[in-house]
Amino acid sequence: MPNVTSFYLSRVIGNKVFSEEKKVVGRLLDLIVDASYIRPKVIAAKVKSGGQTQIVDFSFFIIYKEKGQYVIETRNLKPIDVKKEDTIMLVRHILDKQIVDMNGRKVVRVNDIRLAVLSTGVYVIAVDIGFEGLLRRLGLAKPLKRVLKPLGKNIPSRLILWDDVQPLASPRLDLKLSTTYSKLATLHPSDLADIIEELDKKTQAYIFSTLDEEKAADVLEELEVEAQRNVLESLPVEKVADVLEKMPADEVADILDEIKEERAEELLNSMEKEASEEVKELMEYPENSVGAIMTTDFISFKTHFTVEQTIEELRRLKPEPDEIYYLYVVDNEEKLCGVVSLRDLVISEPQTPLYEIMNRDVVCVKDTDNVNSLVEIISKYSLLAVPVVNESKKLIGVVIINDIVYELLKMKRKLLL
Amino acid sequence: MAQTTRSTRLKNILLILSVIGPGLVTATADNDASGIATYAMVGSMFGYKMLWGLFLITISLAVIQEMAARMGVVTGKGLSDLIRENFGVKMTFFAMVTLLIANFTTTVGEFAGIAASLEIFGISKYISVPLTSFFVWYIINKGSYKKTEKFFLGLMVIYVSYIISGFLAKPDWKEVFKNTFIPSFSFEPSFVLIFIAMIGTTITPWMQFYLQSSVVDKGVSVKNIKYQRWDVFLGAFWTDFIAFFIVVATAATLYKHGIRIETAEDAAKALEPFAGKYASGLFAIGLFGASLLGAHILPLSTAYAITEAFGFENGLDKKFKEAPVFYGIILLFIVIGAGIILLPNIPLIKLMIVAQEINGILLPIILVYMLKLTNDKEIMGEYVNSKLFNVIAWVTVVFIIILTLILLVQPFLNI
Repeated sequence: MPNVTSFYLSRVIGNKVFSEEKKVVGRLLDLIVDASYIRPKVIAAKVKSGGQTQIVDFSFFIIYKEKGQYVIETRNLKPIDVKKEDTIMLVRHILDKQIVDMNGRKVVRVNDIRLAVLSTGVYVIAVDIGFEGLLRRLGLAKPLKRVLKPLGKNIPSRLILWDDVQPLASPRLDLKLSTTYSKLATLHPSDLADIIEELDKKTQAYIFSTLDEEKAADVLEELEVEAQRNVLESLPVEKVADVLEKMPADEVADILDEIKEERAEELLNSMEKEASEEVKELMEYPENSVGAIMTTDFISFKTHFTVEQTIEELRRLKPEPDEIYYLYVVDNEEKLCGVVSLRDLVISEPQTPLYEIMNRDVVCVKDTDNVNSLVEIISKYSLLAVPVVNESKKLIGVVIINDIVYELLKMKRKLLL
Repeated sequence: MAQTTRSTRLKNILLILSVIGPGLVTATADNDASGIATYAMVGSMFGYKMLWGLFLITISLAVIQEMAARMGVVTGKGLSDLIRENFGVKMTFFAMVTLLIANFTTTVGEFAGIAASLEIFGISKYISVPLTSFFVWYIINKGSYKKTEKFFLGLMVIYVSYIISGFLAKPDWKEVFKNTFIPSFSFEPSFVLIFIAMIGTTITPWMQFYLQSSVVDKGVSVKNIKYQRWDVFLGAFWTDFIAFFIVVATAATLYKHGIRIETAEDAAKALEPFAGKYASGLFAIGLFGASLLGAHILPLSTAYAITEAFGFENGLDKKFKEAPVFYGIILLFIVIGAGIILLPNIPLIKLMIVAQEINGILLPIILVYMLKLTNDKEIMGEYVNSKLFNVIAWVTVVFIIILTLILLVQPFLNI
């Protein structure tokens, strides 16, 4: 009489397990699902019987309702081996724990789990994060509903389909799914950063360590200082160094400024030399100088390049959008001598050398200038980026308007505090 | 080379400073309105007789606070999070009801402290309490809470006046030391009650939640756990050092002359003959600062603990509509807490002490949860409690339970 089509986990956990002869053979402690399915299937049950706990095959189990109560019956308590990989224990890993609601893009706590009974087995279909789930666990949902019904009111319930749920493992719970964080990786870096910030430090580091380097670099940029610091200090040096290499040097310099000096040095030493040199130079600038906020990821071309050569070079480099606001032109000693816009480049004949079309009147700042002077220059000339030169007029970096906006916001915040 | 040793030493100092804070802040906030009233009552009613208890409580306090701080460092999670994840909804509900009752009564105590301290300056409670409760709501919602916290903590430096007055009261130091180390006990109901209140005001349920969250907030790493320990120990010592002098000062003056304090004014006046005429004013300002800080911390930390445990939206960066339960708890605490004080003929000092008695009676429940968590190898790893810590914490739990039982059976036994 398997007349049950769906049930809540809380209604069966802790219940007695009966044999076909209606004898008590144990007590149900947990359900174990195979998480490699889209809808995880219950494959095993953790049962306490005769003073000891064992994991048994769920295929011998049936669940049905009798007089309003759920009855768990089994033909056989057959021990079964489950792989740690790709299995989830519903009580141990999900119930009462935090998970990510992928649609709401936030961390929520699981009050209950909804399972469906089909002819092929029992499946997890949704998690309950609502108030009703909470009351059900306390045994208050039914009586309260009875009271509210005549008043035409109901207790709000909130279910999230399992498809939109991402369990959060922590090393402590020994939940190591091979596919665990695949869903998180699909989120926008800044959404993912928001989620990571909400978690405790261990889980933060753990989730971060599962991201690939590119994604990790994007997320690290978006994280708040505190979470950045935690990630940088608790993950293995090599892993962090690989991620940092994928980030713009000025961002790296900013982040390293926030952590302990020893750790920063350790990280710099593990990075590729070229990348770390750039960061080190940037870190030496005083806080309020142009050098401290400029990026060294810019593209420059020699004066004798032709338009054709330049475009080919751009195709090869595939620069980020904000790197090609302006194309700077330098002489053989790397001294800044002009600027060419993409427009100029596109409308000119392929064989024209850059020195013929470049604008020689370049507005630039020195690396030692104060950040405040940048704001004036940028707004006066309506620029999207300003080139930065050193003492000997050599082009050494670029300040992009985004960085200035960020800097201004930071200053404003400081003033408010 | 000399320079490097100097810079490493500087680094060490910076490291210690970066960890110090939560323990000391929590401890300072612990000497709140109800605390001062309770200690003053201890001294004025029983002289030096309870000093030994204070001495032992200091050790318990240090051990228990260290447990909370260690849990915060190792797990990176708040206490209510851990209770929910490890004990399930029913046990969490029980813990949260306990916390809610204890914290609510303490909040009432804080508003009583606000009323009492400003009455010393002749300001009626019908003016002071509505104004301050509005202020508390405003600061929590709009202002920078962290900054306010620092300001009120600063106000409490005034407590040093208690140390001075403790000396100026010329206590019988031989008696003081004797009573600090040699226990004496009485089965009088008032003695037992005040003793529970003294434990309840020194080791409170809310402190464990607040401290653990502050440690998590601060993000102390496991490597620096030993500095965190010193922060907590220092805090425990400091809070009870002041308590000790409040007891000594009131014992040497009020108890000696057989005066029982009925109002905060009495407690303040006690200082006047010995510490000069500014003493009572200073005391009132300190009491006001402590009460106001408590009136901020308690609603806020209760709201955080409960919403975290049950998964409701929380955070001061959210709007009322986005986090109704969170703001609802804060608002209820402030409105009802302040409302009770506005009832005519409410005995303020009595109320503060009742709050501490309830704290004391409910404390073992929270401590048992903490002990279970800090002994769980899966949660704490190698940082589980040491034997000594377990013994001290369990003795505290059992001792409070025995005291509570004595209190309960007393009317029937007629001792």
